[in-house]
Amino acid sequence: MALLLPPGLTPSETAFLCEMEMVTVIPRQRLEGLNLLGGPTPPLNPPYRTPLPLWLALLLKRQRRANILPPPWLSPHSLTAILDLEKSSPSFSPLPTLPAHTTTSPPFLPSATADAPPDALPYHWLELGEMLLEAASDDIAEPDTVRRLMRDLREVRMAKMRAGVGVLEGGQEVNMNGVGGMEVAEGRAFILGVVDGLRKIGASKEMSRREREAEERENGIMGGEEDEEDDMDM
Amino acid sequence: MGSYYNIDAILTDAQKVPCTFTLDLPSMGYLDDNAGGDIKAQTSISLPLWLSTLLAVQRLGPSQAPLCTLDLPSSISPRVLNALKADPRTVDLRSLAGNFYEGAARCLELFEEEEIVDILCESFKKRAADIADHAHNPRGALGEGADFLRGLDEMERQLFRAAHESSKAMRAWMGEMKKKS
Repeated sequence: MALLLPPGLTPSETAFLCEMEMVTVIPRQRLEGLNLLGGPTPPLNPPYRTPLPLWLALLLKRQRRANILPPPWLSPHSLTAILDLEKSSPSFSPLPTLPAHTTTSPPFLPSATADAPPDALPYHWLELGEMLLEAASDDIAEPDTVRRLMRDLREVRMAKMRAGVGVLEGGQEVNMNGVGGMEVAEGRAFILGVVDGLRKIGASKEMSRREREAEERENGIMGGEEDEEDDMDM
Repeated sequence: MGSYYNIDAILTDAQKVPCTFTLDLPSMGYLDDNAGGDIKAQTSISLPLWLSTLLAVQRLGPSQAPLCTLDLPSSISPRVLNALKADPRTVDLRSLAGNFYEGAARCLELFEEEEIVDILCESFKKRAADIADHAHNPRGALGEGADFLRGLDEMERQLFRAAHESSKAMRAWMGEMKKKS
């Protein structure tokens, strides 16, 4: 019992998963295709853009062998538009719509390459944005503005998640569509705690409600007989 | 309820609840600081929850009344509930009972007071929102929120700890990333 791990992924695990996302790089050196366990990587020919997994792109970027082309949503213009959308509506901004023929699991969606849709935040937006700002800030236009906008977006969305707790009750639900992986990792413990606490406090009410419903159902099934019995008692 | 080894469940069970005995009980006076004496009918004594709940459902015969009747504990008295209704954030739950919510939930299983359940749920939610704000503030536990945080009951403390840990893990990840590059 003492060694129980907390449920869910930690931030570093989420970031690890995010490193499988594909990004677009502009290589500066030639590199033959590598045969890796996860599949072969495309060969790099200097002036041509190539999609690579984020971890490899970051590695090459740190060795100055490639430049990363940031996804279109990671620009001041798109982020401002998304931030306005977030501020004006109570729900989270929708996830990007992606071409139908791609695989459906998040790590392999082309949501962070150069031809990703510019008007929506993908699932791994927070961790991917932070990693790119950290490792490749010279490839991003206006990195300081982008950094500020990212922080604003995070604050706005976290405030929304916290406000969502206020409407939790019995059958009601909070719409968390569009929440990113890192945000889930951060908010999970708190939200689980609140839901669990409310369940504990409301247990007696829930129980009496169930009993009432069971009774009503029973009455509904044998309604006729019950009424007769009542009459006789009278 | 809960696990046999759950300290919080044990502490919740040890909370005292006022009960009124309906019968004379010979030589049970030690419960009322009166060793060797008797307990007269209609005496009100505070007994731990685990004992009083058993006594309240125990009958000597099928037609007889239960041994004692339970009253609502002082921690969910009307005065406290009114204060919670007015502003949940200012009430010091810890001074009322260490395991306020769990104790109240245990009692309410016996009383079926839906209005009290609603008040408690509402105040838990309102306080949870504040807890989240304090937990994300790195100086939260030391700054102006200290009074509020001292008044959290055990369940809310766990919530605070969980929220604080996750925002700490997040900051740790961001710091680690900066070191790497």
